[in-house]
Amino acid sequence: MTAQTAPVTRPVPAPPSSPAPRRRRRKPNVFRSLSRTLIVLIVVVQVYPLAWLFLTSLRNEHDFATGDPFALPSSISFDNYARAFQTGNLGQNILNSFIVTMGANLLIVLLGMMAAYALQVLGFRFSKFVRGLFLIGIIVPVQIALVPLFIDYSSVNLLDTYQSMIIPLAGFALPMSIYLFSSFFEYIPRETYEAASLDGAGPYRIFGLITLPLSTNTVVTVVLVNSIFIWNDFIFANTFVLSEGLKTIPLGLQNYIGAMGKVDWTATFAAVCITITPLLLVFLVLNKAMIQGLESGATKG
Amino acid sequence: MLPNRSRLSVLVFLLPPLLLYGVAVLFPILQSLFLSFFSWNGISDMEFVGLANYVHMLTGDGVFWRSFFNALGYLAICLVLQLGGALFVASLLTSLRRGAGIIKTLYLLPAVISTVAIAFLFVRIYSIDPVGLLNQVLGWIGLGGLERPWLSDVNTVLAAVSAPEGWRFTGLYMLIIYAALLAVPQELEEAARLDGANQWQMFTKIRFPYIRPVWITTTIMATTYGLRGFDIPYLMTNGGPGQSSELLTTYMYKTAFTSTDFGYASTISVFIVVECLVAVGFILLMLKRKADA
Repeated sequence: MTAQTAPVTRPVPAPPSSPAPRRRRRKPNVFRSLSRTLIVLIVVVQVYPLAWLFLTSLRNEHDFATGDPFALPSSISFDNYARAFQTGNLGQNILNSFIVTMGANLLIVLLGMMAAYALQVLGFRFSKFVRGLFLIGIIVPVQIALVPLFIDYSSVNLLDTYQSMIIPLAGFALPMSIYLFSSFFEYIPRETYEAASLDGAGPYRIFGLITLPLSTNTVVTVVLVNSIFIWNDFIFANTFVLSEGLKTIPLGLQNYIGAMGKVDWTATFAAVCITITPLLLVFLVLNKAMIQGLESGATKG
Repeated sequence: MLPNRSRLSVLVFLLPPLLLYGVAVLFPILQSLFLSFFSWNGISDMEFVGLANYVHMLTGDGVFWRSFFNALGYLAICLVLQLGGALFVASLLTSLRRGAGIIKTLYLLPAVISTVAIAFLFVRIYSIDPVGLLNQVLGWIGLGGLERPWLSDVNTVLAAVSAPEGWRFTGLYMLIIYAALLAVPQELEEAARLDGANQWQMFTKIRFPYIRPVWITTTIMATTYGLRGFDIPYLMTNGGPGQSSELLTTYMYKTAFTSTDFGYASTISVFIVVECLVAVGFILLMLKRKADA
């Protein structure tokens, strides 16, 4: 993929082909089968709750209330899904999440690339200082922005708008994307730029004709990684959005916790399944790119 | 530096991102600091109170200290699950010949799911009436005496709200550590094996020192994320029962948006930032010193 994804899969140690002493060879095998069993066990613990979530969404209420929670559903019903769609504004919530995710990603990619271009390719005297400023955004928790942004938004009438979610989500994600773009731009050879300059291209044309087209892979990585966090954001949406029509998926899900503590669990789980599906599908299809993005984001950070 | 660049072009590329970042991140930090010296409910006039908020927070507010120690407990559980679990699974995974890709994907699944969904799921897992997964499992393996309503028992609630956060991101850290372990040069491991190193020595003397830089990064990530943990406890218990699962973040949130005490809430958020910075500094210092020794 991209040049910054340094850790590539290395062939896992093959068993010693040279005639090693017998005892040596047996020991790792015991170790290996033991670790294999452990891995399977841990993965089951890790994944089972999700499988259970899905199975529960297919049960009917009676089966859920009385049956063994581990048993397979006695009959598969999709009633819960129908009820889930009736209860809340699921469609609206999904649409809102799409708008916010797209908006924030657009800003993150475009502005992240511009800043990285200025810092890494153009270069200027205070670039170290500016990099330091951006580093703050990685360390500082998002909660610090809640009260000030709430106050600022209410004075400029931005509360309860898409922008009120998009701005902080993009702002806090910007440092990491600048970082990923910078480390990718490092690998574009100087000579490319020099040749383009000799042909009379200025910084804008070089950005548009060389840097931008070359960065497609990094763009995919940045979008994927950020989408997970933005799609699932709860805190900004919960603080800045009040009206039903603007609620994103995490907020919409809250509607399913009914009044007076009576919870329609099977419909709730059906709603959860519906809302995690888009992201899950993207993840399963593109998980190689996403995994590489997450790895390179952190190992070099 | 690009040969034909001009000062103007630098500004054209740099100003828009700085503007967004300033509005969303830098300015609010300064504003929080400023607000922390005031008493203000958002409606009446702001009243300058100097350091009074800080004095009250540190000397007169029992809930603050309770939340602080809860947050440390929350962090400890998250770190053990995330870093310990990640290192353990990643090490096991390196001995696997096939299927590592599938396991990585499966293991990362919970990180893709929203915290609201996770909170719902775990509320059900912990519940006792109707009996949830956890109590059911305890009954099965003959530990029925331990069955309890995990989220309303003051002794277990903090652990119960920390575990989902730990569970959620173990896969992410495992992925990072696994990638680092794969990068350990074969020759080093080969040489150690010829010298008769066992698995444990191999790990402590060769692999772990080699991945130390990545370990520092992941520790910092996990620590700062743990200190800012909010959604899951807020959604599962809202800090209760009493204050037994209140974290600094949930306390700050309630102070700001339930009691509308913006000044004091800002004081708490300044404290959270300081706490994160101190934690990062502390980790760097500790791990650097170890590396030098």
